[in-house]
Amino acid sequence: MVPPAAPAERTPLPRPAAALLRALLPHAERDEVLGDLAEEYGARASEAGRWRAGAWVWRQVLSSVPSLLRRSWWRGWSGFEPQANRTRPGGPMLESWIMDVRYATRRLRSRPTYTLLAVLTLALGVGGTAAIYSIVRGLLVDPLPYRNEQEVAVFWSPFDWTEQEFLYLRPDFAGFSQVAAYRTEDLTLQLGDAPARLVPAIASSFELFGVLGTQPMLGRGFRDGDDRVGAEPVVVISHGLWQELGGEASVVGRRLRLDGAERTVVGVMPRGFWFPDPTIRAWVPTPLREESQSGNYAFIGRVAPGQRIESTGAALSRLVARLDERYDYPAQWDKTKNATLTPVREFLVGSLRPALLATLVAMGLILLIACANVATLMLGQVDSRASELAVRSALGADRRRLTQQLVAEALALGLAAGAVGALLAAGAFRFLVGALPLGAWAESATLRWSVFLTAMAIAVAAALLIALAPVVSLWRGDLRGALTRARTSGIGGRGGGLESGLVVAEVALAVLMAAGAALLIRSVSKLYDIDPGVNTSEVAVLHIATGGGATAAQRRVILKELTREIGALPGVRSVAAAQRLPLSGGGDNWGIDIEGKPELATTTTAFRVVSPGYLETIGMKLRSGRTLAESDGPSSERVVVINQALADKYFAGEDPIGRQIGAGFEGWERIVGVVGTAAETRLTDEPTPARYMLYEQIPYVPDEHSLVIRAQQGRDPAALLDAARRTVERVAPSVAVQEATTMASIFARAVGPARQVMALLTLLTALALVLGAVGVYGVITHFVNRRKRDWGIRIALGQAPSHVVGQVVGRGARLVVAGIVVGLVAAVALARLLASLLYGVGTTDAASLAVATAMLLVVGLIAAWVPGYRASRTDPALVLREQ
Amino acid sequence: MTDDAPLGTFEEQVMVGVLRTGADAYGMSVRREIERVTERDVAIGAVYATLDRLEAKGLVASSRSTGGGASRRVFRLTAAGGRALAESWAMRERLWHGVDPRRLLAGEG
Repeated sequence: MVPPAAPAERTPLPRPAAALLRALLPHAERDEVLGDLAEEYGARASEAGRWRAGAWVWRQVLSSVPSLLRRSWWRGWSGFEPQANRTRPGGPMLESWIMDVRYATRRLRSRPTYTLLAVLTLALGVGGTAAIYSIVRGLLVDPLPYRNEQEVAVFWSPFDWTEQEFLYLRPDFAGFSQVAAYRTEDLTLQLGDAPARLVPAIASSFELFGVLGTQPMLGRGFRDGDDRVGAEPVVVISHGLWQELGGEASVVGRRLRLDGAERTVVGVMPRGFWFPDPTIRAWVPTPLREESQSGNYAFIGRVAPGQRIESTGAALSRLVARLDERYDYPAQWDKTKNATLTPVREFLVGSLRPALLATLVAMGLILLIACANVATLMLGQVDSRASELAVRSALGADRRRLTQQLVAEALALGLAAGAVGALLAAGAFRFLVGALPLGAWAESATLRWSVFLTAMAIAVAAALLIALAPVVSLWRGDLRGALTRARTSGIGGRGGGLESGLVVAEVALAVLMAAGAALLIRSVSKLYDIDPGVNTSEVAVLHIATGGGATAAQRRVILKELTREIGALPGVRSVAAAQRLPLSGGGDNWGIDIEGKPELATTTTAFRVVSPGYLETIGMKLRSGRTLAESDGPSSERVVVINQALADKYFAGEDPIGRQIGAGFEGWERIVGVVGTAAETRLTDEPTPARYMLYEQIPYVPDEHSLVIRAQQGRDPAALLDAARRTVERVAPSVAVQEATTMASIFARAVGPARQVMALLTLLTALALVLGAVGVYGVITHFVNRRKRDWGIRIALGQAPSHVVGQVVGRGARLVVAGIVVGLVAAVALARLLASLLYGVGTTDAASLAVATAMLLVVGLIAAWVPGYRASRTDPALVLREQ
Repeated sequence: MTDDAPLGTFEEQVMVGVLRTGADAYGMSVRREIERVTERDVAIGAVYATLDRLEAKGLVASSRSTGGGASRRVFRLTAAGGRALAESWAMRERLWHGVDPRRLLAGEG
């Protein structure tokens, strides 16, 4: 045994070892243990040298760590305090935290309603926010699958450029390292004997992958010369298509039958690559022809090294000057005007932003409302614990410790809410992906594990936010005072200012959301009020592609057979085909010449190639003359039907029937009829002048068509689609069905993202209203309970119960009105966020704001009336006896 | 952790250590005593943790030493602790009754 040395000779312990031990020892025992250790260290140092003694100390400390940690945990958990330390309380931090978390869970378990309400409320906000945040991050924040995306931009006038323009500019794209031209081109893929299917694809010049800076995973991209006329046809496929084809490396070199012709697979793009959207599954080089003037290309370029997109002004001016030299553009298509570059991210996913951000903000507001709700609940708890806290504080608990308890309780709630919220987030993710207007991006939104971490992080942050209110109230309040007041049951106790503030905030947030939802609802209902000029209830639609290999004559035959066979199906009233349907955006505008009006030579109008019976089948109304008939054949006089908008524009005050117009084919077409104007481009566009001609009477037949199928009265058009699709497979196996849909859903799509955002926002608003009502109800109930004795005395003294109700509701109304005022101001300020989704209503629409106000008033007053009514029923005898 | 569970080996060592150190039984002195007898390194943390557990079970009691020098938490066996230790000793006796440990040592050697 080493004899203990005298205290005077104590040698200081190695610092880090001492600090480590100190952190693990309870305050009461810290000094003596360290002192004893130092004593023995000193003795050993003088006997065996400092090194050995130091090694011994380290061994002692390190081998003590596990047992001391276990002891801290156990003491915290069991609340054990040794007899010897009764008068010197306080353990290490860890110990008191464990104690407090345990105390908090016990308290929460003993109040299941409060806990359940708090956890569920919070979980709702946490789950929703985590889900939408994951989507937003995936689409708006994560880098696009291109190298240095900030160097890549799209030229002005996208999908208006021609091959000729590209070939003219190509030799000198100064300021750019590379520029590619691309357009969409859906291909039909035929594998063995299976029916042809559609592969959404991009046709581009060879530079495309160079511009994007992405290397194929297998094989190669495009090479210089792949886009020359007569070059060997090649294709680069997506990772997804590669998987479907078997996922083997030997796919490179394999030949695929695309659009009726063989193409050699030269490359496979890596997983996660997409351009320009995730539905595209193949990229083919397009043979560029000097003489081709059809304008459907977009130009995408990578700026020269060291350049930035914003600093390409001079390069663009040069390009514009060269265009000006060579081309003489009509005023409305002038590409020498407004030359700008759009960053690739903005161009590809910019349109998703308003809807996503609006939803993210709405979810964030729900989360804040939930936080305010739980904070009010906790404040109520703190208040009803006022006497307990006061007693604790009188017994020596300091505010820091009480604060720690509150934070521990909030954290326990937060962690539970985070766990539930993570599950909700996983469920909400799929729902949101379906409910948001993501279009092609829906399939790139995948649920990742990070959503759970996000949920937990949000929950902990929310918990800390929630703890703020009760902690502030704790530090502001006078605990000892509360103890004396407790005896008088808290009359004139805390004014509840903090709670009131929280409720005002909650109501304000709910008003904000209700106003946003009301704006969207009004906007969408205005969109639905627009008459598209076609039948949207009885018409089913099949979008088909005949495949690039077929000749015009073959296509005519295919269309004729398909309309005849589908027309024979039960439940079908009539079938027709058209090269482009109403409500499917711009494009297919052809020049128009009018006999006797040469001054109109350079204008264009929408031009639609249709089959006989199309106008009747889709439900356009004949205004004068006749429609297109079977008898208008290839050898009879070429005829055209125009719409009212065209008649109004070019034949104002004249009778157009019998007049002649030209579409650039040899000779003229005679106008035989006028139909009502349908929304040929977008729903919200001005009436579009349009004309309709028969497939039989023009030399050109495009590849893609829409079959419109009118159902017999009272039948669901969607029910016909399956049989129609099978008929296509049977009659024309080389034809791919792109999409089977109905006019009703085309109309819904034309209404646009506002419709989907509206549905979502309405749902969230309902949630916000419920949460807001719960908040008002909770605070007013608490207010009433605190003054129970008050009501009892008043009623005993003869105050009418209705008066009591009035007082309580009045208090609620004051909070709600204050919240509404704040909310309206915020709504006016934040409505800009929705601006791009609105149609026909301003961002400060009085009706929407009024609806939001009324909604909150009604809900808020009901929530306040219930506890008020209860207060008016207070039995004075009962309450007074309680005291 | 029920009270009538038999003592663990280390618990027993700590309790005997308290007994042997007598009036001066504090953490460090108990540790030294055990180390001296068992000839093995014993971590101070393990001693304190075990003493806590024993006190929670009511087998030892702690109080503040008053007297010269720093105030320390000192331990003594409670009546229950004495009984538990005696029971532990008796059980060991019964366990070894009729077994000669010297034969084991011889077999080993």
